[in-house]
Amino acid sequence: MKVPIAWLREFLELSQDPNAIAERLASIGFPVAAIEKRPALSGVVVGKIVALEKHPNADRLQIGTVDVGGSTLSIATAATNVATGQIIPVATIGAQLTSVKIERRKMRGFESEGMMCSADELGLPTEWFEDGILQLDEGTPLGQDVVLLFGLSEDVLDVEVTSNRVDAMSILGLARELSAATGTQLSLPAELTAPQLRVSSPGVRADDDLEGVRVTIESPDCSRFVVQRFTGVRVRTAPMWMRVRLALAGQRPINNLVDISNYVMLEVGQPLHFYDLAKIAGRHLVARDARDGEELTTLDDAHFALTPQALVIADEERAQGLAGIKGGKFSEVTAQTREIALEAANFSGPRVRRTSASLGLRTEASTRHEKTLPAVFTDMGAARAAALLVAEGATAYAPRPFGHAVERPAAVDFPIRDVARLLGFTLTADEISKHLRALGFEVTAPSPERLTVTPPLWRPDVAIAADVVEEIARMAGYDNVPTELPPIAPHEIPSRAYHLERDIARTLAALGYAEIVSYSLNGGETFERLARAGLDPSAPPVEIRNPLSEDQRYLRHALGPRFLEYFARTDRPAKIFEIGHVFAKRDHIEETPMAGFAFAVETKSGPSWRDDAFLRIKGDAESVIHALTGRETEAVPDRRATLHPGKTAALLVDGKEVAFVGAIDPRLLHEFGVRLPVYVASMYLERIPEFRTPRFRVPSRFPSTDRDIAVIVSRDASAKAVQDVVARAAGDVCKEVRVFDEYRGPQVGEGRKSLTLHLALQMDDRTITDADADAVVDRVLAALESDLGATLRS
Amino acid sequence: MRLEDELRELRARFDAALERAADPKHLDEVRVSFLGRSGEVTTVRRGIGKLPGDERPSAGKTINDVVASMEAALGEREGALQRARFETSLSESIDVTFPAPPSPLGSLHPIRIVTNDLCGYFERHGFAVVLGPEIEPDYYNFDALNIPADHPAREGFDSFYLTEHLLLRPHTSPMQIRTMEDYPPPVAVVVPGKCYRRDAVDARHSYMFHQIEGLLVAKDVHFGHLKGTLTGMCRKLFGPDQAVRFRPSYFPFTEPSAEVDTTCPRCRGAGGPCRMCSGSGWIELGGSGMVHPNVLQQMEYDPDIYSGWAFGFGIERLALVRYDIDDIRRLFENQPEFLAQFS
Ligand SMILES: [Zn+2]
Repeated sequence: MKVPIAWLREFLELSQDPNAIAERLASIGFPVAAIEKRPALSGVVVGKIVALEKHPNADRLQIGTVDVGGSTLSIATAATNVATGQIIPVATIGAQLTSVKIERRKMRGFESEGMMCSADELGLPTEWFEDGILQLDEGTPLGQDVVLLFGLSEDVLDVEVTSNRVDAMSILGLARELSAATGTQLSLPAELTAPQLRVSSPGVRADDDLEGVRVTIESPDCSRFVVQRFTGVRVRTAPMWMRVRLALAGQRPINNLVDISNYVMLEVGQPLHFYDLAKIAGRHLVARDARDGEELTTLDDAHFALTPQALVIADEERAQGLAGIKGGKFSEVTAQTREIALEAANFSGPRVRRTSASLGLRTEASTRHEKTLPAVFTDMGAARAAALLVAEGATAYAPRPFGHAVERPAAVDFPIRDVARLLGFTLTADEISKHLRALGFEVTAPSPERLTVTPPLWRPDVAIAADVVEEIARMAGYDNVPTELPPIAPHEIPSRAYHLERDIARTLAALGYAEIVSYSLNGGETFERLARAGLDPSAPPVEIRNPLSEDQRYLRHALGPRFLEYFARTDRPAKIFEIGHVFAKRDHIEETPMAGFAFAVETKSGPSWRDDAFLRIKGDAESVIHALTGRETEAVPDRRATLHPGKTAALLVDGKEVAFVGAIDPRLLHEFGVRLPVYVASMYLERIPEFRTPRFRVPSRFPSTDRDIAVIVSRDASAKAVQDVVARAAGDVCKEVRVFDEYRGPQVGEGRKSLTLHLALQMDDRTITDADADAVVDRVLAALESDLGATLRS
Repeated sequence: MRLEDELRELRARFDAALERAADPKHLDEVRVSFLGRSGEVTTVRRGIGKLPGDERPSAGKTINDVVASMEAALGEREGALQRARFETSLSESIDVTFPAPPSPLGSLHPIRIVTNDLCGYFERHGFAVVLGPEIEPDYYNFDALNIPADHPAREGFDSFYLTEHLLLRPHTSPMQIRTMEDYPPPVAVVVPGKCYRRDAVDARHSYMFHQIEGLLVAKDVHFGHLKGTLTGMCRKLFGPDQAVRFRPSYFPFTEPSAEVDTTCPRCRGAGGPCRMCSGSGWIELGGSGMVHPNVLQQMEYDPDIYSGWAFGFGIERLALVRYDIDDIRRLFENQPEFLAQFS
């Protein structure tokens, strides 16, 4: 919210230093996002053109005689909008304007004694003000300093107001807060100090307006509606002081009526609406639900077909505006308007928010109403507007309130100990009362332990003791909160999932993998690539209903695509990993935490039945799982949509799949533009069992002996099957059996392969002899022959 | 041949063999062939039995003397060879500035490193670390956090929706609720994790980001305990001189609420032309506050007995500040040149 400091000064005395004001505001919960620096202007005074003549040597120049209060200046100007009698800003010799300093200079032989100023030279937006020389109001005292008069060089604060403090979304609201924080007296315009907040013209009967407007409230979402009638209205340009303030606050001046409603909204916080009363059927306004299909054209010529969800203000014939959002075109105030009805109403915030959201129509008014304004703002807004309209020559009739009376928020029973209990520092009952009273709260002390705290009319947001604590903290200063360490009571909450992620990450980093973090949303191209490669994703992707862009429409279904993008981009051997969630839509939306790691290697050489890279990724996966669980894994052949059909394995722990590994399908590599073969492992984090604490076994103190044997088996016999037969046949004496080499070729025959095994043999009660070892090998060979048809390779 | 001659001749051959033995293996061969169980000395010794009885003791002594001298010579030769090897080894010299081959170690992402440091700090202070789903119903994201439908504060959470009531969490706060649902007080947890908001991506914003949530609810927990805990956290992350400041703010699920700042680690709070803090001397960490009584009540925690605080900070911001990274997008672009700097 843009807050011209000059406008704030209307209500209280403030530091000359904008930074000090900004810091003060921040300290009580209103941070200043930016301080908009105004140009340092000087030497501009109010002048009146008393005579005007043509420049003797230049057709396009005129020479004005300007009364600047006590003296006259001769000033040349090229502006075409000047006329005798106009009151204008005059930059005298030595004056500093936005981009020039005024010096004596000759214009075609004539020495001008200053310069008549336009909006631009005073740092005002030119498109919001008259072309040419600015026109000040009649009666502006001649000779006065224009810069001071309009606060043209005072900075503008961009203040952030949190959504719970709609009462402070106004100049007056922030002035109130600053007054409480600084202990400076607030000075209000007369109409806002009157206890009843009613302003009407002299001679108008205060008790009733017989020709006034009737209001019927048919919806509970309109709690209060103040209506006031004005006659003798003339639509014209608003006074300069008002236009300047609006412009500095970022609001474009339009005409005196629009400007007054904007001015009151920015100053007091209450949005207003003026109806051309001649256009209101039955002089009767009704706050009601829109009828289904009811049509409305708003002030900005937007056309709506409404539903009963919308709350409208209607007359006896048609909807005349969207309650709290925007007025209707039909009863818009025009140059012909002479009699108006003012609306200052209070609406349900949620109702306004829903309507505004469903129509896609947000306005300055709706952003305030949707936070539910304090009801008292209706009376304040009407009173302030009435005073300004009367100053514009209108006759104000008595305001008529409809709906609920304005009531003070309920008193809060406040235990004094809550200050210490929640804030960690103590205050006396007197100190607490002083802070709260500064903010307009009423405080009484029914007991030494408790206070009864009644919020002011504009603070219905304060409802419980914790709210009061915050008010006290703001006033006492958040810097009073001490710096202490809490006593932490023991609790039973486990950290297992986090530890698992942390330990996997550390293990993978130790194995040489670099962690990446990639975006979880992707576009459809990932699925198109799968489809083009002739592969089916296992489940439909999860789609975002309201994506920001097409390439962020889907939640990732796997970690792999980002790995492939990485390898396509880097095009060199590398090892990477990522831990994150993947998503799929099956019966319901599924979210699965995964850890994936992958590497790209130089194109492999060697026989088609051997792939060392596959063994490396499998080995890494087995190592990681062992480190995490203390358990062994079993690899079984498997199929996955994205993996090479002959190079995929599921990894089982205790018979349950916890991970799978494999080579990426070459068709998919091609679709992703990856040149190098890629191997990947994916682990289901939620399936990884707890770490099993190992039991120590006393190692045999007798030496062991090793035997390597090579056997020829059918190609269908897996290494695992061979190992299992060996282990079973050898028995306890066999401490380790491992296939470590494979050979295929003419020497071993068609459909056969040679596997070389390593056996470590050891006995627990004596040294194993050669004869013992030979007997084991004989047993093993016999079993391999009978179970797998194996022969010893000689 | 006389025994003495026999021994002299044997000794001469032994000395020659010793001279030729240039390594421990050959030395051992010499030992075995002369002094071993079936070596030459043994053969000579066997010959003693053929001698007359009265000559046998002196012959035995003679042989023993020779053996002792041979063993001494062997030991000396062994020592000399050892010294020679040491000298050879010690005479080697290399260029120690020659670059080492690349480390086989991988790396952790800076977000992981910061997360681990934060969680490590909180675990040492008795907090558990819990993780939660990224897809959450609006109940956990909003309603249970005192943000009913149509509440103005929902505006601050421009979220990605999957169904009418299911969304990508815009903050980690749903885990406050899940934790209090699952455990009675006291609870002390932190929650790191991914969050999502419909923000356009630029140097400082990302639609996906990481938060760390903190929640402590117990008896006698006050706002000052939050300041103390966070001061320690910032010191752990940025160094021993960090201070923490609270500024009043508003969040529906805390009351009172505060924005938390810490001293800018780059300019040490001096401000001025510092680009990291834009001259304020402070770095914004995020929101915090005392858990709102409505939230406690809904979790069936008695707000008159239990009090607590919560906070939620962006981890990216902490990483950017700590490592002096200029653009948040670098965290998710996964350039090898970027990742390698954190190994
Ligand atoms: Zn700094």
